[in-house]
Amino acid sequence: MAANMKAVKLRIKSVENTMQITKAMELVASSKLRRAKERSDNCRPYFEELYDTLKTIAAGNTDFSSIYAKASEGTKVCYVVIAGDRGLAGGYNNNLFKCFEADAAGKEYTVLPIGKKAVEYFKRRKADILSEEFAEIASISVGDSFEVARLICDEFKTGEYSTVGLVYTEFVSMLSQEPHFVPVLPLSELTDEEETEPVRNLILYEPESTEVFDAIVPEYMAGVVFGAVCDSVASEQAARRTAMESATSNAEEMIGTLNLQYNRARQASITQEITEIVGGAEGL
Amino acid sequence: MKTFPIRIGTPDGLLYEGNIERVKCRSITGDVAILAEHINYVTALGMGEAFIRLEDGTERHAACIGGMLSVMDGSCHLLATTWEWEEDIDKERAERAKEKAEAILKTQGLSDKDFALATAKLNRALVRLSVKE
Repeated sequence: MAANMKAVKLRIKSVENTMQITKAMELVASSKLRRAKERSDNCRPYFEELYDTLKTIAAGNTDFSSIYAKASEGTKVCYVVIAGDRGLAGGYNNNLFKCFEADAAGKEYTVLPIGKKAVEYFKRRKADILSEEFAEIASISVGDSFEVARLICDEFKTGEYSTVGLVYTEFVSMLSQEPHFVPVLPLSELTDEEETEPVRNLILYEPESTEVFDAIVPEYMAGVVFGAVCDSVASEQAARRTAMESATSNAEEMIGTLNLQYNRARQASITQEITEIVGGAEGL
Repeated sequence: MKTFPIRIGTPDGLLYEGNIERVKCRSITGDVAILAEHINYVTALGMGEAFIRLEDGTERHAACIGGMLSVMDGSCHLLATTWEWEEDIDKERAERAKEKAEAILKTQGLSDKDFALATAKLNRALVRLSVKE
């Protein structure tokens, strides 16, 4: 019985240690989450405005002379996949890759992974990787997203790709994050299919629609990428926080049951000792 | 004067939302000013000074670099890469950036990328300084 007591005691210790770690990680994640959320809240209006404006322009566009405006002959799809740098965030990375797989199934594709986990994942799958420069999502700034945009636009201009899409995790709330696929290029992809408006919105482009698109699209790409990065970072921290929170409460529960076991073992050993003493006394 | 709604946004946040009389900024081909009841319009922005005139007639100047300006059904959206109000510009920093960029441009044997980068930096610094003055 004494051996059992010791084993249970050891187990309680080890669970306590794990709980300390998960608790610390939860605290770190929630403080990082606060910062990430602030950043994401700040740039969200820009991101949404940009997307909406481009969407209206795409819907009203009658002139497809710009290379960005219409689908090219290419069949390949270019994905920008934004995942986290680290694991231990519940299903965060996995859900994102699942969402990606669902969309990419059966297509020929190239990826631009952002975040260490994404780079590792596509390396393992031996996918066609555009650049591994953006492995660390935590350090991505506005400048970096411009770099990404330039890279993607140059790729798109080669005409090999039919679409460019973004796979990222949307920050819905503290408790729910949803992975999404959003088409980014060509602009004709942005128009909703149910659009049946007979009268097209006429828009004046200055100096010319082609030039305007050529100047705006990289800008728009960068904005969209940056917005998605901000959202993904916030989502990652939120997912980690939730995962660590449930890990901590799990550990608490485990410690509770283990304590019960320990007390039972202790009780049993005491009872045994008493019976032994009593038995010994009677034998005298 | 008639006013129209405008929203000015950058990746760092929504900087201004409200009704104004006019907005002036530099597009890739030159300065444009937008007044109320403008036809639907889209242009890309270059680097330059910008200002908005508020309903009460006060003018706010800013340095505006890159982005797009669109007018859709009477409301204007100005999405800039950077938009700094006059009062937020750090003059000393801009001067330092200007000197640094000029020094880089004077050196020999620059790569195309470095040259483009330094020119862009110099231009940005010059825009900031001209807004401040």
